Amino acid sequence: MKIKQIFQWLLGSNKKKSSSPQNGMQADKSEMMQKVLTMLSNTQDVEMTCDEVFAVLDQFAELAARGEDVSRLMPLVQHHLDMCPDCQEEYKVLQRIVLNAV
Amino acid sequence: MDKRTNEEWIADLRAGGEPQAQALEDLRAIILRGLPYAIAGRIAPNSPESEALVEEIVQETLMRVLDNLDTFEGRSQFTTWAHKIAVRAALTELRRVRWREVPLPEMAMDEEGDASYREIPDNQASPEDQVDRKDMMKRINRIIMEELTEKQRMAMTATMEGFPLEEAAQRLGMNRNALYKLMHDARLRLKKRLEKEGLTPQQVLSVFERVGK
Ligand SMILES: [Zn+2]
Repeated sequence: MKIKQIFQWLLGSNKKKSSSPQNGMQADKSEMMQKVLTMLSNTQDVEMTCDEVFAVLDQFAELAARGEDVSRLMPLVQHHLDMCPDCQEEYKVLQRIVLNAV
Repeated sequence: MDKRTNEEWIADLRAGGEPQAQALEDLRAIILRGLPYAIAGRIAPNSPESEALVEEIVQETLMRVLDNLDTFEGRSQFTTWAHKIAVRAALTELRRVRWREVPLPEMAMDEEGDASYREIPDNQASPEDQVDRKDMMKRINRIIMEELTEKQRMAMTATMEGFPLEEAAQRLGMNRNALYKLMHDARLRLKKRLEKEGLTPQQVLSVFERVGK
């Protein structure tokens, strides 16, 4: 990958925006940058992996459904769900199933 | 019908013969009640496509449940554990369908392309802010190029573009778990390098948040 691609990634300039071109580009750029930096500032030395989270996701979902403070009880799981779009998506579905006692 | 205790579920599913068949039938019905939550908003329900998909997911889930009975530790209800397996199977399949035509973001560029970021028009930012931002952008870019492997950069670009990890991983020839580790390592490296250069992510952010002020 070449340097400019990274810029484009940071600038988000490969995205089509419907708003006015200048402000759109500017908004995109800072939005992208914000995303990256937020991810960095939320990065921890120790994080659980997708497989490790999957192993306890059923337990986590039931605790949450019971109203337990899961981010205190299982902070690393909560953190992974905040960082990982795939696991987060799966958790949201599982949570709805558990809450609806299907 | 789903009145079994966890122990009864396990015993029946291991029993073979009629008890196992009955337990599988009951479990299938339970999974079928959960799947609409996975499918909702992702594929048209009750379409022929979704019916075929549902059948595939149920089969896969039952198979995985039987294969992984040993890993059930009884920390949740057995049915929640089975739903978890079904949800993962469902979303994996739905992502595959949704993203199968989409290539990983890749942009063919020339080496000199880095002029593009220097002249970003920004009517609202002061000249000082624009200079700050250009410098910061250059600095961050240099850090990214020096710290990350090509795979790490590709993975980060893809997920920034909204690619599911699962799909990006598959295209990069690894599994999702390995990709998460790769990206965690990338984030850590960037973070530590920023720290080494005396920058916190918040400080860098503040330079960009002055946009529009
Ligand atoms: Zn994950």
